Amino acid sequence: MSLFIQQLLNGLTIGMVYALIALGYTMVYGVIQLINFAHGDVFMVGAYLALTLIWAFAAVVTGAPFWVVLTALLLFGMAGCAVLGALIERVAYKPLRASPRLAALITSIGVSFFLQNAVMLIYGSKDQSVPEIIPHVRFEFHGVSFSLTQCVIFLTSIALMVFLTWFIQKTKLGKAMRACAENFEAANLMGISADRIIRVTFVMGSALAAVAGGLFGVYYGSINFHDGYLAGLKAFTAAVFGGIGSIPGAMVGGVLLGVLEGLGAAYLSSEWKDVFAFVILIAILLFKPSGILGENLPEKV
Amino acid sequence: MNFKFKILDFRWLVLAGMVFVLCGAARKEEVVLIGLVAPLTGDQAYIGTGVLQGAQMAVEDANAKGPLFGDAKVELLGLDDQHNPTQAVLAANKLAANPDVMGVVGHFNSSCTKAASAIYHEGRMTQITPASTNPEISRQGFDTFFRICATDDVQGPAAAEFVWSKLGAKRIAVMDDHTTYGKGLADEFEKKFKALGGTVLRRDAITQGEKDFTPLLTKVKSVNPELIFYGGVYPELALLIKQSRKTGLDAPWMGGDGIFDVTLIKLATPRFSHGTYATMLGVDPHSLPSAKDFVARYEARHGEIGSFSAYAYDAANVLIEAIRRAGAKDRKRVLQEVRKMKDFQGALGVVNFDEKGDAVGRSIGVFKVEEGKFKFIEEIKPA
Repeated sequence: MSLFIQQLLNGLTIGMVYALIALGYTMVYGVIQLINFAHGDVFMVGAYLALTLIWAFAAVVTGAPFWVVLTALLLFGMAGCAVLGALIERVAYKPLRASPRLAALITSIGVSFFLQNAVMLIYGSKDQSVPEIIPHVRFEFHGVSFSLTQCVIFLTSIALMVFLTWFIQKTKLGKAMRACAENFEAANLMGISADRIIRVTFVMGSALAAVAGGLFGVYYGSINFHDGYLAGLKAFTAAVFGGIGSIPGAMVGGVLLGVLEGLGAAYLSSEWKDVFAFVILIAILLFKPSGILGENLPEKV
Repeated sequence: MNFKFKILDFRWLVLAGMVFVLCGAARKEEVVLIGLVAPLTGDQAYIGTGVLQGAQMAVEDANAKGPLFGDAKVELLGLDDQHNPTQAVLAANKLAANPDVMGVVGHFNSSCTKAASAIYHEGRMTQITPASTNPEISRQGFDTFFRICATDDVQGPAAAEFVWSKLGAKRIAVMDDHTTYGKGLADEFEKKFKALGGTVLRRDAITQGEKDFTPLLTKVKSVNPELIFYGGVYPELALLIKQSRKTGLDAPWMGGDGIFDVTLIKLATPRFSHGTYATMLGVDPHSLPSAKDFVARYEARHGEIGSFSAYAYDAANVLIEAIRRAGAKDRKRVLQEVRKMKDFQGALGVVNFDEKGDAVGRSIGVFKVEEGKFKFIEEIKPA
């Protein structure tokens, strides 16, 4: 039983990270029906930005409390990735807005390669070790242990998800985003600036991915310029799982995917851990293409 | 940051090489090319770059000594296979089609080396791999294939021997990363360890690029192994070590040459990686008098030596020496000269090839991580 709960907690932790990335996929898809394959790499850039800030902190101040460093690195990553997201949208997708959707999709794969290789050239091709900034505190309870790092991942992710839900439901900008997702042209005719909404969507999605990247780096302690690929693919699966285009769907999908993966690895075979994720993707596409919480039918990719 | 410039340097070198070739043609100065294929971009670019730099130094040394024959200069033609057999085949075809290329140092990954070997065989081109240790490659019967490193069927059993008799561990777990290299190594280890009378409690596999191994490690912990042998490369092992310590699994880890890299210690932290064993094909280049000069020059120029740079250096030197002896731009004669080569003095020791093209008499070194460094602790002579 304690093994089960332990795996459940581990799965939840990584599921939170998947959920944060999946939100970016789903938001962009909701507004412009684009599967932004570069999103996983924005996540990876977020992790590298966080690492850079840790280095900078270590060089300038010593003995800063961990939450100061943590907040700073998350904010720095968010700011950096927000700019990056806006830039990618402006340079790579905006010129293609009138083109067939496939053109933008393929461009996103190009952007993904570009980001990977740019990071490789800047930071080097070796895995980088992320210093442990969160003190090694563990909470033990009946043979189940939970670390402070996991706690931080939980709280940060939940806070962001609550904020995002509030933003989408209650603010004017959020309302405009929903309007665009529902009917892009009608929203435009009602005086909502499409360019602005699309930019905001990219900025927010990228900022969330940056937080996921920072937390991921701190949790696993090593990052590689290739990490965005698999994490992005899993998050994409999570987004489809939950129903692409649906924000609560991405959250639920991410968390569920993490948990199923963790339990699958524990009780079936760890060798096939990634296979579970993709079997889920295929099963969802076959039997419930709209995902668990989705309404609109996803387009073929 | 340094790395950026190194990469750029190398690009310029290749470009300069090509320009040289063109100018050479114009000046009618003969240029002999040596191919080098390794993962220069992609997830294993770090090792590939070290291999390229090692071979590049051999080429520079050779040219400093004067022309190979007549007024022939040797140039290195570096190609990237991205650790991808499809790209490896493309690169091999490119080299085989170029009549100036006399031989190739490469590839790095066993899967790539194997895929490309048939093309070199068809082109009658000498191929010397600096690093692919999978024994299957030389069993294909290609007379153009050589390898400068030992094979997993030497490395795996040597590791098993060490674990059984020196460490006295009887009940262990074995894990691999599902690659040609990792699985091959783990299989050879397991076979020998069982033959010696040991018990393998669990045999698991993980996926490369994966980050979270806690579910698996929790299961491994429940069988309580005395040691865990891992067939694979270090990025995953670093995570495995770290996460095993966090799940309370304290057994030492052991791996092959693929984990022999200081980055392992950096990633897994010196505290957690302490006590990890690694076998290496050959001993630490730092501890070899014959490699001292090369290691010093390499490190002065490129920083810490990569685990396969010295192998690439030796492989390129064997090839250059064969071209020198052949005295002509003739692939078949170069191949004959490599076949005839006896007691070649390399930086890592004397090089001799057996009839399959595998290096003979390569001893295996056992290293242990202590105080954040790989310490050479034992030399195992091949049986």
